[in-house]
Amino acid sequence: MKIPCFALLFFLFTLVSSAQKNTYPITAIKDSLKENADAVVRLDQMDIAIVSQKNMNIKIQRVISVFNEKGLSDIDAYQHYDKTTSIKNIEAIVYDAFGTEIKKIKRKDFRDQSAVSGSTLFSDNRVLYLDYTPVGYPFTIVYNSETETSNTAFIPQWYFLGGYYLSVEKCVLNVTFPNNLGFKKKEFHFSGFNIKKTIDTDTGLSYEAFNILARKTEDLSPSSRDLYPRIMMGLEKFHLEGVDGTATTWEDFGKWYGDKILTGTTELPEETKTKIKALVGNEKDPVEKAKIIYDYVQKKSRYVNIAIGIGGWKPMLASDVDRLGYGDCKALSNYTKALLQAVDVPSYNTILYGDRYKSNIQSDFVSMQGNHMILAIPHDDKYTFLECTSQDDPFGYQGTFTDDRDVLVVKPEGGVIVRTKIYEDKGNTQIDKGNYSIDENGNLSGHLSIASEGSQYSSKSRTETLQPTEKEAHYKEYWSNINNLKLGKITFTNDKQNIRFTEDVYVSAANYGVISANKMIFPVDAFNQSKSNVKRIRSRKNPFQIQRGYLDTDEIEINLPVGFSIEFLPSDFELKGKFGEYKTEIIRKENNKLTYKRSMFLNKGKYSNKEYDEYRLFMEQISRNDNAKIILTKN
Amino acid sequence: MKCIKFFSFLLVLFILNQTTAQEFKLGKVSVAELEQKKHPKDSSAAAAILYKKGSATIDYNQQEGFVLITHVEARIKVYKKEGYDWANQSVTYYNGSNDSREKVDFSDVCTFNLVNGKIEKTKLKSDGIFNEEVNKYRARKKITMPNVKEGSVLEYSYTIRTSNITMMRDWAFQTSIPVNYSEYVTYIPEYYTFSSRQKGYIFPKVTVNKQSRSILFTNKERSGGLSTHTTYSTDNVDYLETQTIYIAEDLPGMKEESFVNNINNYTSSMEQELSMVKFPNSQIKTFSTDWNSVAKTIYEYDDFGPELNKTGYFEDDLKALLAGVTSPEEKMLIILNHVKSNVKWNEYYGYSCDKGVRKAYQEKSGNIAEINLMLTAMLRHSGLTANPVLVSTRSNGVALFPNRTAYNYVIAAVETENGYILLDASEKFSIPNVLPLRTLNWQGRLIRKDGTSEEIDLMPKKASNDIVFLTYNIDPEGKVTGQARRQCTDYNAMITRKNIFSTKEDEYLEKLENQNNKIEISDYSKTNEKEILKPIIETYSFTGNNLCEIIGGKIYVSPMLFFSNEKNPFNQETREYPVDFGFPFMDKYNITIKIPDGYAVETLPAPAAMTMQDNLGSFKFNIAANENTLQMVISHQINEAIVSTQQYEMLKDYYKAMIAKESEKIVLKKI
Repeated sequence: MKIPCFALLFFLFTLVSSAQKNTYPITAIKDSLKENADAVVRLDQMDIAIVSQKNMNIKIQRVISVFNEKGLSDIDAYQHYDKTTSIKNIEAIVYDAFGTEIKKIKRKDFRDQSAVSGSTLFSDNRVLYLDYTPVGYPFTIVYNSETETSNTAFIPQWYFLGGYYLSVEKCVLNVTFPNNLGFKKKEFHFSGFNIKKTIDTDTGLSYEAFNILARKTEDLSPSSRDLYPRIMMGLEKFHLEGVDGTATTWEDFGKWYGDKILTGTTELPEETKTKIKALVGNEKDPVEKAKIIYDYVQKKSRYVNIAIGIGGWKPMLASDVDRLGYGDCKALSNYTKALLQAVDVPSYNTILYGDRYKSNIQSDFVSMQGNHMILAIPHDDKYTFLECTSQDDPFGYQGTFTDDRDVLVVKPEGGVIVRTKIYEDKGNTQIDKGNYSIDENGNLSGHLSIASEGSQYSSKSRTETLQPTEKEAHYKEYWSNINNLKLGKITFTNDKQNIRFTEDVYVSAANYGVISANKMIFPVDAFNQSKSNVKRIRSRKNPFQIQRGYLDTDEIEINLPVGFSIEFLPSDFELKGKFGEYKTEIIRKENNKLTYKRSMFLNKGKYSNKEYDEYRLFMEQISRNDNAKIILTKN
Repeated sequence: MKCIKFFSFLLVLFILNQTTAQEFKLGKVSVAELEQKKHPKDSSAAAAILYKKGSATIDYNQQEGFVLITHVEARIKVYKKEGYDWANQSVTYYNGSNDSREKVDFSDVCTFNLVNGKIEKTKLKSDGIFNEEVNKYRARKKITMPNVKEGSVLEYSYTIRTSNITMMRDWAFQTSIPVNYSEYVTYIPEYYTFSSRQKGYIFPKVTVNKQSRSILFTNKERSGGLSTHTTYSTDNVDYLETQTIYIAEDLPGMKEESFVNNINNYTSSMEQELSMVKFPNSQIKTFSTDWNSVAKTIYEYDDFGPELNKTGYFEDDLKALLAGVTSPEEKMLIILNHVKSNVKWNEYYGYSCDKGVRKAYQEKSGNIAEINLMLTAMLRHSGLTANPVLVSTRSNGVALFPNRTAYNYVIAAVETENGYILLDASEKFSIPNVLPLRTLNWQGRLIRKDGTSEEIDLMPKKASNDIVFLTYNIDPEGKVTGQARRQCTDYNAMITRKNIFSTKEDEYLEKLENQNNKIEISDYSKTNEKEILKPIIETYSFTGNNLCEIIGGKIYVSPMLFFSNEKNPFNQETREYPVDFGFPFMDKYNITIKIPDGYAVETLPAPAAMTMQDNLGSFKFNIAANENTLQMVISHQINEAIVSTQQYEMLKDYYKAMIAKESEKIVLKKI
């Protein structure tokens, strides 16, 4: 009897030992890491070797266990390449849940594709990516790649946590560098995370992090960049597409950028210069001159992005833009600068992050940053910023793409960090004036004028460019609270001088008043119902923020149907708090007429996770009061 | 003198004609075209195609034999900035390694502007031409035109050459902007027969001409020996060429609408497909001319029919699975489940196998053809009468005309006494006769072993149900507490299961709460979660503070709470294309409401019923009060998956009336 038992034990033992040889079985993952996770990063290691100013080698080893379809996007098994970045090695191995190898994917099995996307017309960037169909979940992928590049201007940022619904078992960063290139780093949001710095010398830097739990996405959260740990790295002496560069101070960096990258790009044909001078005529004021030129550029050019080699960083020649009438943000900014130069108005290329979400150039970390370029015109110790890729923006308008953030202004004497224009909450207005009538069958007909300014101008003025079907869809969405909405005449007034956009709209709708027996019921506020549906989040972890505040005021005349009397009228309502102020008022007038007044002011601000429910309730009360109904009884 | 005057008059007339009439020839841009501020028939158009001409010519040359040359030229007017996108053009072409490789060249690319009353012409230089190698097979030639402003007129032309004459491109007469004139001409030697198919609402005018052409062959003969000797001889072969001209004028821009399965089904366009080849002294070779021969051709492809005959790779597995199973239905379900759980779809479409069924089975993943042909083979092997059914997915457009490219997908059909049962093993929650939504696209084509075929209606006929039992109490503060039980069948069950299983339960409930007036859900449970042949049932308790309104001391409540339809999805004034619901359905609500003590009903919505013509759908609304309990039964039923544009107005009014009824309130007053 003993012998078979022994045999069984032996058999078990071999199973265990062979399993030990297997890589990363799913059973080895801690339960806490599985919570809220679609995938777990078992190991995420990057070895960056900066060999010289012109040579950087990056090795990536990622081991990811994927639990479901959503976790597929966390595999990140792709590598970009171009003329200056070559892929020396790329491969992947797939293991099943027990850690048994099921598939090996070699370089030739990766798909090779051009990486031209979105608004880019052409770029020589390409990508090798893994296209793997899982045969079952969970599974684990081990991905390895090695690249080499001569561009050392961009050392990849290191994110310890690569995404939401993803947890990390182990994360390692190793960087080696010569001590004479001025390597520097900046750490962000380390607190609360188990991150160890294992090496920090004049030739090496290493970090290790363990057990980072998966995070959920939550509405109104700051960007993950502003919440979770990351490291920025850079060199004081770097190389970019055949050009050596320096970045010790912003002044140096700006000078380098001006001398090495921008220089010689603003030449214009004499003919164009003459034309521009004639266009400006006797105008002396630099701002007025700039307005004329901005208008000229807007009418002449369009946005086309072609990114080849250094062209990704160096603007196209102004003379080419002049001939072709197109370019990307750098080309169009630089072209505008060249035209301004021709009429003796100074202006500076300005590098920044263009995004609705406000993000700064890190002012205390001198390096190549940003993704966008605008133009700064100095006057009276201030700057006016021009968005040169837009054919519609009013002069100096910064809307929601470049407002209120730190940017790098490249002056000939060097770079300086400047804050762009801040649109104050009280100036982001929408003023509604109008009226509506309800007939005895509950049908509504009315007219409204909506005037928008400040940051509200940016979203509203887009309505002007919509096609008729899109315009119809837009208003039916905007007034989705009104069923059976029919649009009448719509007129727009775009006052670019004062930056105010006015919509003048006639509407009608059958059955707005709901008739039940001898009563008619309808919400008083037909035209400006609060749209922010603030979700209930069971236990919120992140702080939240409101990036831009606003002020809406409404004054609407209401004509009630004849033959009805008012049974109930919502009472006046007021709400004040740290998030803002809200007030409604209904004034009864003779002949079944009412005046409805509403004002809603929202502060911008940053708040803690604990305040979220308070905000939700604040907005909910507003939305409930916006929905307050009037009840009429048939006489 | 008289004579001269007459002459000059003629000349003036001629010149006048030149400037006012549009000339459909590259370079001949008129001042009138440049001056035009908006499109005469569509003032909102951002741009318009003033003319577009295309030709497909099959030409002979001695090196390559017959080659296909496609030439396209166009003139585009830009009215507004939003039309600037038309200044970027691209042609995608095949760049693989075989004979089908295409070569694309742009030429005569110019921008015309009016500067101080004069026409200014800017030519495209090489810095505006790009070639993007997308992947191993495809590349894209792109141009971006210089000096484009509001009012500019753009011209371009390009030529595509290939030695694979079957690759004749489709021609779209219509696009998203107005087209004033569109012309397409084919030049086809008598040896080839193409079938051309038109779709859309606007048909071009067709003219056919025949002309004779000849090919000059030069033969070189060498006679060997000590001194080589070359002789040349020439042969002349005459043949007839058919020229077919298609012309369409004044085509309006296409507009996107919701509930449309694929706008391309309605765009005026044309496809050409080679149907026959007949060279002198050789046999006629026919390709697809009707659906039957299309099906037969596809069946005979190496990566289709033969793949159905392979059985070795699964025989052992199937034997084990089906041991002791006799009922055909059970066999079918076991096999479907076996394929579903063992071979995953790699998201690639097509009716042709890529790596083949055997390899797909081993590697546990494959494209649609591999999965469903394998399924068909297994069903056949188990003794069932099973056949593949070719399908064109919704994104591919409706298969209107017989040709091999009309289809892009394949499913399986089992023949039973009660008709066909359709199966697709590529989707987890799909069951017999409940197919993934992508396949629900009018007709498919079933192919039998002998190559004969038959049309199969893919559109579901049976209504998918969504039945809700809702019981709730209202308290004097307007707070609602209750239970909901929701049962979904067929397509609704498939969709619901997908929703449930695509998120974690916690998130699913959070979403459910937020979408339903921020109710709080507890005691959530599911029945038949895994038994996908049965309806899926969800039950939960809920409380809600936002479900009633207290106005002037009275309680107002929409009886269906968060289940009422609040918005009419059909808010367009007019409808260009049919409404596509995907499948017929019935939503039914059984509601029991308990009103608070001390309250009585003041007003109740009146019972109502309506039906649409042609039995398209019906709505019933019944309500009865019994002391402090209210009983309601509401049903909304659409009997057709597709509703024609003629019926749109009726459908819109039906929804309007239904929503008005559902939003009527019950009013409760204090006693």
